[in-house]
Amino acid sequence: VSARIRLPSVLTETIGVGARHEAAGETLGEVLDDLFSRVPVLRHHLLDEQGRIRPHVLVFVDAARADIKTAVGANAEIQVLQAVSGGRSES
Amino acid sequence: MRRIAVGTEKGGYLLTESSGGTWMVEGPQFPGWKVSAFGETSGGEHLAAVASNWFGIGVHISPDWSQWADLGAPPVWPENTGRAMEQIWALHRDGSRLWAGTSQAGLFTSDDDGRTWAPVDGLNEHRTRDQWQPGFGGLAAHRILTSGEQIWVGISAVGVFRSDDGGTTWAPKNLGVHPVDTADDAAAPEVGYCVHGLAQDPRDPLRIWRQDHRGVFRTVDGGDSWQRIENGLPAGFGFVMWRDRASGRLLTVPLHSDENRVPVEGRLRAYGSDDDGESWTVAGEGWSEAPQFTGVLRGAFDGDDDGNFCFGTTGGKIWITSDGARTWRELQPAFPRIYALSIVR
Repeated sequence: VSARIRLPSVLTETIGVGARHEAAGETLGEVLDDLFSRVPVLRHHLLDEQGRIRPHVLVFVDAARADIKTAVGANAEIQVLQAVSGGRSES
Repeated sequence: MRRIAVGTEKGGYLLTESSGGTWMVEGPQFPGWKVSAFGETSGGEHLAAVASNWFGIGVHISPDWSQWADLGAPPVWPENTGRAMEQIWALHRDGSRLWAGTSQAGLFTSDDDGRTWAPVDGLNEHRTRDQWQPGFGGLAAHRILTSGEQIWVGISAVGVFRSDDGGTTWAPKNLGVHPVDTADDAAAPEVGYCVHGLAQDPRDPLRIWRQDHRGVFRTVDGGDSWQRIENGLPAGFGFVMWRDRASGRLLTVPLHSDENRVPVEGRLRAYGSDDDGESWTVAGEGWSEAPQFTGVLRGAFDGDDDGNFCFGTTGGKIWITSDGARTWRELQPAFPRIYALSIVR
């Protein structure tokens, strides 16, 4: 299964990677692992130290909010967004 | 042509002085990301520590302060600690080794110019860690001094730790400093001190000056004991402690108090000491007579040991001097809250 992934510009412009990618997997976790094998720098920006999607990062699979275990169908569209909740400064 | 790198709550900026005395602004670099610290590699390349409210942290490298590349593997907490990395507070280089002080009071080292990092477990998992309490900015290891096998690290709101064996073992060094959460002057707990800024005499590394939450202090024995030195200061609170290598002059920027982190009566001034901290006076002239109710944070002060100093405010303005802190002026451009400044050398 191959999915198309779109990343937000606030991430891609700073770390210097493209906004659009393709990766394969049966679940979102597998798709992300495939993506990270191609673009390793993305792993720690999207996942925390425990391997979870970061708290203020939203991932949608075919427009539905998704987590690591969400099934990914053929030709799925995966969108990564920054959550409004992350706009709060911690300091 | 002078240049100043500026790290702010929202992006990095590069200021370049033109021949007419105006300053050109390049940026924002890292748009939307906090730029929390600057550093340099053993090869003279520049480093910027960045943090996102969404996407974790990064360490970027540049040959010219203009073109940046993500190094890809910043310091992160081991999975079994359960901690999350939110920010690098300080980058410090000693020879070929880089040190990073981080959120959650982390200390990390890199021996490949920031490409990979290892946690310093002797400090990060110190036997007193379960007593460590965060300050307003969270638990933060934010100041790092080194001299051979001796290393000092300042942690808010925990205190100063020293290692005498290159970072393997650590001991708290705060005797004589007032702890942060007690009114008992005689209390001397092991931890619970809120160091804000540290500066060291490179000719005598055991001589260190400390801007603390609870006042200004000096040690002449590497932190084994501290003495209060506030004669002439309008307030003991503040974040900055800077020592000019060329002249030996000390500089700090006093703020009113813990609960009121702005200059006393809005009189934003750097204060200097030419006698080792025994006495302090306003450093030079050119200061605004209009009230400046803004703060200056610990990383937002820099000097180049050639008479140039600058600092940035929480209100996003930059003050500079090029004559050894005799005359100061405020630059026109305004920025978001400033965390880090670096005079480009």
